[in-house]
Amino acid sequence: MTVASNVKQCLVTIKGIESQLSSLAFNSLDQEAKAAFHDTALTIGTIKKDLQYRILELERQEPQYKGS
Amino acid sequence: MPGWVFIITRSLLFLLLLFITTKILGKKQISELSFFEYVAGITIGSIAGEVVTGLEGNLYHGSLAIIVFGLVTYLVNFLSIHSKKFSDFTEGKGTVIIRDGKILEDNLKKERYTIDEISTLLRQKNIFNVADVEFAVLEPRGNLSALLKKENRPLTPKDVGMKMANEKEPQTIIMDGAIMDEALRWAGKGRDWLYTELEKLGVTLDNVFLGQVNSYGDLTVDLYDDKIQVPQPQQRPLLLASLKKTQADLELFSLATECEKSKAMYKKNAALLQETINKLEPYLNG
Repeated sequence: MTVASNVKQCLVTIKGIESQLSSLAFNSLDQEAKAAFHDTALTIGTIKKDLQYRILELERQEPQYKGS
Repeated sequence: MPGWVFIITRSLLFLLLLFITTKILGKKQISELSFFEYVAGITIGSIAGEVVTGLEGNLYHGSLAIIVFGLVTYLVNFLSIHSKKFSDFTEGKGTVIIRDGKILEDNLKKERYTIDEISTLLRQKNIFNVADVEFAVLEPRGNLSALLKKENRPLTPKDVGMKMANEKEPQTIIMDGAIMDEALRWAGKGRDWLYTELEKLGVTLDNVFLGQVNSYGDLTVDLYDDKIQVPQPQQRPLLLASLKKTQADLELFSLATECEKSKAMYKKNAALLQETINKLEPYLNG
């Protein structure tokens, strides 16, 4: 396992969390819960962007692991 | 006409009449909340009984009496709604029996209750020590309402400063294998959603005896076939677990990397995620 693949795995989990939060925001009936799920989905979105950027950096530094 | 036919027709007729009367007078009549309803309830019942079985009695006189009693009760209810004084007079007021933890003997005497009767009423509310009670009222219908001292009340999440997520009432959307469309609409879902959820659980609609959906959109079902194990909804606890795992991963990356800029980025996001977890925990637990 390389660093890049670890970070990629983390990114995939983050993406899963984001989509689950969005679906919970849609399915919940309570307004407060809806808002909380929606807000946190947006926060997770920013973390996702940072990680994606980091993966690009890692791939540029270690091109031999690209795509793995 | 033989006597028994007479009784059957009268019984049916009076059943209908009593049903209509109580329907008009409403829930209050059935629960006999006030003194007036109590008296009217007894009288209407006994008039009906008398007329149904008494063959020589006049049918119309009996009906008239019931209608009069119903009308007067209705009128009293109507006036009680509009005048507080009138309702105090007809329905009676509660009497304070215990105030500031002390029994008010004068009020007890006024209501002609003995201390034994009061302790019985308290015991029915699981209170065995009078000293635990801050305030108690004898309601007009003879039941006792008691407020315990703050330290003797059950602990609530508010007392320990816990934040709890608000939950809406669950909707029963499947009964006896039939879809309740109205409840489904209340839950903000459609039949397509329901079929998908049932497929996820791996059960058919015919096999479901009872299906309920909570305010997070989790479906729980009870099947006719009790041997089949149905998976419990676990999406939210699982989501919390994966949030925690990701947070730990980010912390790990921030320790492992040597690039200062990335270190700061990982640290910032780990903190952000921790904040998110704290915010979501009340909604994701249970």
